[in-house]
Amino acid sequence: MFWIGKDVDVFLTQKEFIDTAIVPLAVMDGSPIGMKQSASAAEFLMSLTAFVEQQFKGRIMVTPPFTYTNSMPKKNFIEAIDDELKSAGFKYIFYMTSDHSWTSETPELTVLWLPSIPLGDMDQSVKQSVLSDQLRQVVPMLSAKWAGQ
Amino acid sequence: MSNNRVTRRQFLNYTLTGVGGFMAAGMLMPMVRFAVDPVLQKKEGGDFILTKQKISELTEVPVKVDFTFEQVDAWYKSNVTNTAWVYKEGEEVIALSPVCKHLGCTVNWEGDPEHKNQFFCPCHAGRYEKNGDNIKGTPPLGPLDEFEVKEKDGLLMIGNTRANTLV
Repeated sequence: MFWIGKDVDVFLTQKEFIDTAIVPLAVMDGSPIGMKQSASAAEFLMSLTAFVEQQFKGRIMVTPPFTYTNSMPKKNFIEAIDDELKSAGFKYIFYMTSDHSWTSETPELTVLWLPSIPLGDMDQSVKQSVLSDQLRQVVPMLSAKWAGQ
Repeated sequence: MSNNRVTRRQFLNYTLTGVGGFMAAGMLMPMVRFAVDPVLQKKEGGDFILTKQKISELTEVPVKVDFTFEQVDAWYKSNVTNTAWVYKEGEEVIALSPVCKHLGCTVNWEGDPEHKNQFFCPCHAGRYEKNGDNIKGTPPLGPLDEFEVKEKDGLLMIGNTRANTLV
């Protein structure tokens, strides 16, 4: 499910099945060196979360990405988002990111960190197989949480 | 010539009828065009998409076949890759949609090691027989959809989905 009207309608009637939220965390860096890197990381992150959504449409809702700069108090923001999603009824909340700073900063949240791969210049079929490989990394992390109840 | 002179009254009548006719036509033509428009529309639904899968290489074990098409969502164009589970039943080629009938996850062939020869949905452990029939007692409420298939130069072509005809 995506964070769109039609899917949220389904979510509201099927809450016991759609119990997982994925929040993409994308850093926005405007410096001449960091801009390209942050853009291709965001591109990778959005493609990957869309692919996860396609595979697990009936259980996962992918929220709009949380975009931040490194000067923002992002930890406070993300805690507020976490509370909001919990009160919406999501039992499992995953954060997907290519920004390494999250892994150390928020140990109490389930952050799935994946190194970004520049997809920009790739052919459609190559992109597809790269994303499938990445998905294979993500699935065990999801299943482990789901099985742990 | 002098016998057939057009009177002022006649001249005005003809002119007004002519101009009035043009105006009426100008109003009616677009209406008629709108009314018959659905008949003139080109049908886009029946398009088949060519895949890279050779028909001769298919067996009775379902394999994943990817196919890509361009999807236009308002002004946003994107290439969408879909998959199908394709196998041979005798000489007939069968392509099943991987979309779970419960809430739309993607099912996998033998995705659960405990249930061989079945499609498995990882979201809520829904299961389907090889022909797409949903197994009672698991969440899905209907059988997997089927794709229309065609052959072109030995390659598989995949069309629209339709309700499962095998169950």
